[in-house]
Amino acid sequence: MQKVSYYVLSDLIKNRFILGYVLLLGAAGWGIFMIESQPEKALLVLMQITLLALPLITMVFATIYYYNSREFITLLLTQPIARRTVIVSFFVGLSIAFVAGFLVSVGLPLLLFYPTAESGFLILSGVLLTLIFIAIALYLSTQVEDKARGMGVTLLLWAFFAFLYDGLLLFFMYQFGEYPIENGVLALSLLNPIDIARIAIIMKTEASALLGLSGAVFREFFGSSLGVMVSFSMLLLWVLVPYGLAHRRFLRKDL
Amino acid sequence: MIKIENLSKCYGNQAVLRSVSLELHPGQSVAMIGPNGSGKSTLIKAILGLVLPDSGAITVNGRDTRHGHSYRKDIGYMPQISRFPEHLRVAELFAMMKKLRTDVTEASYDETLYQQFAIEQMRHKPLGSLSGGMRQQVSAALAFLFNPSIIILDEPTAALDPVSNERLKEKVKQSTREGKLVLVTSHILSDLDEIARQVVYLMEGEVKFFEEIDALRAKTSETQLNKIIVRLIHPEYAHAES
Repeated sequence: MQKVSYYVLSDLIKNRFILGYVLLLGAAGWGIFMIESQPEKALLVLMQITLLALPLITMVFATIYYYNSREFITLLLTQPIARRTVIVSFFVGLSIAFVAGFLVSVGLPLLLFYPTAESGFLILSGVLLTLIFIAIALYLSTQVEDKARGMGVTLLLWAFFAFLYDGLLLFFMYQFGEYPIENGVLALSLLNPIDIARIAIIMKTEASALLGLSGAVFREFFGSSLGVMVSFSMLLLWVLVPYGLAHRRFLRKDL
Repeated sequence: MIKIENLSKCYGNQAVLRSVSLELHPGQSVAMIGPNGSGKSTLIKAILGLVLPDSGAITVNGRDTRHGHSYRKDIGYMPQISRFPEHLRVAELFAMMKKLRTDVTEASYDETLYQQFAIEQMRHKPLGSLSGGMRQQVSAALAFLFNPSIIILDEPTAALDPVSNERLKEKVKQSTREGKLVLVTSHILSDLDEIARQVVYLMEGEVKFFEEIDALRAKTSETQLNKIIVRLIHPEYAHAES
């Protein structure tokens, strides 16, 4: 297991894409604190990057990587190596590469320049979102045989989580604005990993004061330790379920 | 020894293998031939565990391929098209494979093809920059490296230059003499003529016949494999084959 993970990881490190990812995020993460004198604002910028750019880049890259590694996977599987080992190693290798990249480029400057609870939440959310979108990418690419179609589904799914879902949620809120739907909206936002992370972080910042009535409900929930536990359990579930499905699929598919 | 019992496989509605049963023994050198889409590659992939059969069973040296993966220690496989991680260098690939195969000691490595194909000289090249023929050389050297008792070659000679082709055939013949089991598919029947002593003919997912080449020669009074096949199979199929 460690051996295969090690080879996946060393292959990823040699890949220029990962380097580019670290440089891009690093430029934002380290740069924003250089030009922005108010760390609260810098945090919000980094939050946007973590919530939008990170899932996109992670998921697209993980999908491409899986498709490009199909022959390598076949090579490994003609050796006495279990399928379980291969899929776990791919998940572990990708996760280590991207989590390390995120910690160096965004995590470290946050800890150095703005060591607060909000920063901690942002870093934790970023790490979990990385794992979530790698798991989703692995699930999609083991499910969809065709590379182009796989990429299409990946992009669509990102768009769904990043803004389409929020659009639908807003529409729902306008339509049923007359009713006490705060708890329903709360439950619905727990179904989108990006929303969970976004709300969990915003609730820790001063900006949450601007959220109005439903904000109060959100604040009550996400501000409590129960809410924090529920939201991070949901994020964890978002890692485990897609990965579990990918794992199951990989063990049973023809290669 | 490879024992295949009533193996069936469908892709969607299309039956690729229909209740295939075969028994291959050590010391045999089996040529698997048949028209395109007759299920040759699927059968090989099923033996390797890459394709999971719908029904039936395969045992390799007494171990069921559906349970565990240790049976693959005994198999050396050279795929039809070899593609490797592009960034990896040749030397790194060999180092990696050796590290992954801790079950084989250094003393029992079989580096004949590695030396004959002069792979040492391309060790610093990234695998992505190798030509198709060079990749086949790397792939062939890997298939024999761990001294497996079963060797499976899928279209091995298609991209190789004449000298490498001869060396590979020599290696295959020697392996059979050593009592190994060799299974080869190819469309170049003249190559198979020299190395194979048994023929399996697959058609539409079924085994048409499995016989000694010598017996077939006597039966058809032809010497060349492609002529034998023409004699045995309906001419219009034979045309597609040769």
